[in-house]
Amino acid sequence: MLQYTIRRISVLPLLLLVITFSTFCLTRWGPGDPISVIAGQVRDPEVLAQIREAEGLNDPIYVQYIRWLGDASRGDFGESYIRRGFTTWEVISPRLWVTGQLGLAALLIIFPIGIFAGGLGARFRGSWLDPTITLSLLFAAALPGILVVAVLQWLFAVQLSLLPVGGWGGWIDIYWIAGIVAVPIPDPHIYIPLIAYTLGGFVGVARLVRATVLEVNRTDYVRTARAKGLSEGVVQRRHVLRNSLLPLVTVVAFSLAGIIEGSIIAETLLGIPGIGSFLFQAIGSRDYNAIQALTVIYSATFIIMNLVADLAYSLVDPRIQVGDT
Amino acid sequence: MSSRQISGILLGIVGILVLAIGGLSAILLFQGNEQQTTTAAVNQNVSSIEKIDPAGRELRLPGGEPVTLDPHLTTDAVSGAYIVEIYSGLVTMNAELEIVPDLAESIEISSDGLVYIFSLREDAKFHDGRGVTAEDVVWSIQRAASPELRSTVTLEYLKDIVGVREYYYGLKSELAGVVALDTRTIQITIDSPKPYFLAKLTYPSAFIVDRSQIESNRNWVRSPNATGPYKLAEWNLGESIVLEASEHHYLGLPSVHRAIYTLAGGSALTRFENDELDVAYISINDIDRARDPSSSLYKYYQATASMSLSYIAFNVTQAPFDDVHVRRAMAMAIDRQTIAEVTFNGMTLPATGILPPGVFGYTEVDKTLPYDPEAARAEFSKSKYTSSNMPPIVYTETGGGASAGLDTQAFIEQWRQVLGLEIEVRQADWASFLDLIDSNSAQMWGIGWSMDYPDPENILDIKLHGESRENNTLFSSPPINELLESARTNFSISKRITQYQEAESLLIEAAPWIPLWFGSNHVVVSENIEYWFEPPMTLPRLQHIKLRD
Repeated sequence: MLQYTIRRISVLPLLLLVITFSTFCLTRWGPGDPISVIAGQVRDPEVLAQIREAEGLNDPIYVQYIRWLGDASRGDFGESYIRRGFTTWEVISPRLWVTGQLGLAALLIIFPIGIFAGGLGARFRGSWLDPTITLSLLFAAALPGILVVAVLQWLFAVQLSLLPVGGWGGWIDIYWIAGIVAVPIPDPHIYIPLIAYTLGGFVGVARLVRATVLEVNRTDYVRTARAKGLSEGVVQRRHVLRNSLLPLVTVVAFSLAGIIEGSIIAETLLGIPGIGSFLFQAIGSRDYNAIQALTVIYSATFIIMNLVADLAYSLVDPRIQVGDT
Repeated sequence: MSSRQISGILLGIVGILVLAIGGLSAILLFQGNEQQTTTAAVNQNVSSIEKIDPAGRELRLPGGEPVTLDPHLTTDAVSGAYIVEIYSGLVTMNAELEIVPDLAESIEISSDGLVYIFSLREDAKFHDGRGVTAEDVVWSIQRAASPELRSTVTLEYLKDIVGVREYYYGLKSELAGVVALDTRTIQITIDSPKPYFLAKLTYPSAFIVDRSQIESNRNWVRSPNATGPYKLAEWNLGESIVLEASEHHYLGLPSVHRAIYTLAGGSALTRFENDELDVAYISINDIDRARDPSSSLYKYYQATASMSLSYIAFNVTQAPFDDVHVRRAMAMAIDRQTIAEVTFNGMTLPATGILPPGVFGYTEVDKTLPYDPEAARAEFSKSKYTSSNMPPIVYTETGGGASAGLDTQAFIEQWRQVLGLEIEVRQADWASFLDLIDSNSAQMWGIGWSMDYPDPENILDIKLHGESRENNTLFSSPPINELLESARTNFSISKRITQYQEAESLLIEAAPWIPLWFGSNHVVVSENIEYWFEPPMTLPRLQHIKLRD
């Protein structure tokens, strides 16, 4: 187990190398470059050539990559080309916090509701309620995110004028009643992205909980508990549910990774200043430094979450011996 | 492992995860708090200044995220809108687009038109109250032109000054053309007499920056000490920019004390109707509501012209656009009047020529090739291309690839109907688009030009002179080049106008461009504002806006 963990962690840098080098080549081989975008419409080819040379953009690609790698390994991701005067990290970190807040809020909604729905499905197995829950959650997950965002914007912002179309105002707003009592209320900007982010997540949690609850219900210790004469409520709460929740740990990591990856389109559509919408802008303006830094963040998140999920699996179910594979 | 052990380990993992996430949040939260403290500190500074009213005199408007607030690097209109409020230079442009002294109080021009002597006003001051000296001006222009700064625009705007080119390319270590004669007098020498030179000095490339701040603070651009009417009070990436009137500016305090630009996306109009913004721009989706006298928006709606032109450009070295008849026929085959009214719902103005309104030399008379299907077909038949030897034509425009621009779709249809041309539309993102134009691989493309100063030189000479590096059409006509060159150094305004108008009409006849639309702004302005100033180009505007008392 320990050996396996070490081996998995040791390939992490190698994976990051491959991913960042691929991105590095793809962005530089594609059409356009940051100098061209910065110049806008005043473009003297001689001036642009001079600046490209000075910025080292004419060097062979491996030389550029090694230079980037050297800087990046010291934590220096360079200056953003489209937010000049700020380092890439300074531009990204407040945005990372926005994306992180939304992701955490989404998890806090997905899990309680998913667990409740899964428990309900297991409890009423065989009745109409069970397939109805699974099917409707599957349907919600099957809706494309772009469509959901557009429909929610149209309905709640344009037609009903209840919520803002987009933008970001933080997690909660504090309202003061008579200047004494503080009432925290979710910021109106958060509803639409939260709905869009959570819709796809319920079904996975619910199905996992439903399956494990049914499995646990068939175990000897639950039968023993029932035989002791404990009431069904106590059995479900104390024995079944508690043991059914353990496998969920494996899903948390995946859900968070999925939400962060999915943020690119949703944040762009909703004008949320997170890392997803910034990646979109950075690619559009060929901000090489920002694209590289975001690639590191996205791929590292994904790789680490995968690792956490794998390790959690083997801990939850000792029959899965990850080290043997 | 027993289930108890498993739960123990799991609880441990969950605990670690919670700690990790919590720790990260705490770090980020703490960072956020730090930012808030600095903001609070700024606010404290502000409240210690008695003259500025921090509560009232506020203007809330939508804004874009600037690429840079360094005046010597900026190239885009979004950044420019903030920069012209924060910084200033020797000369500026007033609301009537006249060039007027700004930090300079007087300007003497030698009789040969080569030497400009600027005397600084005594009350020209930085935001921190320090007086502006001639040395500040010299150092600022040197910085703008320095090879280390790697500005993409300095040469375009300052290359007329003697020595700037050599200095920029690192060939000379001194900038000969800009000299401080004494603490308040600056002498600038240019390479040949140019009537538009002062207009170019209004561009941010010639703005004044604070040497001591730049040399001591790597992050100076986040709180620049400059000479403009407003100072940058807050810059919250992705959220807002707050400008605050400088109490040291020689004009005194303007009506707008604080301008709060909201940078977050979403519908500005919705926020305007919610009283979160004092101003919002109207898109084609909302224009009917704004124009409808029974709508709540109607009384707030204003439309103004902007000094810009959208056009179609041809690469005249590529078939079939090496044939003037093809270009002219395509210009005559499109009905811009109808497209403006129907497709754009009257929001765009068909261009009457190349020079947009506000530029001198502009006239209302339509000088463009008129829409005439018969004449277009006749013109087309004169070309060396027929349906048998017509090469494939690709029209390039910027866009995400979903569907072609509204006007493009209409043009494609008309070219098919009138001339029988099948034209393919290719959309490219901005970076790829620029790459296609730079490499001369696009055949024809749609683009626009916003004037930097109201002189015809800024569009005709820069974009269409045969020798200009910015002329992507590769079109060159000796008589037009001669006219443009002669107008460069002609100090008789009336003669210059005639020369530029002549060049304009020759260019329309030769059709390297098809002028399409003149720009216009559609805006709703709240009742809090007594007078709203919508500049036709990037100009210091906040000082002209009047809030209602």
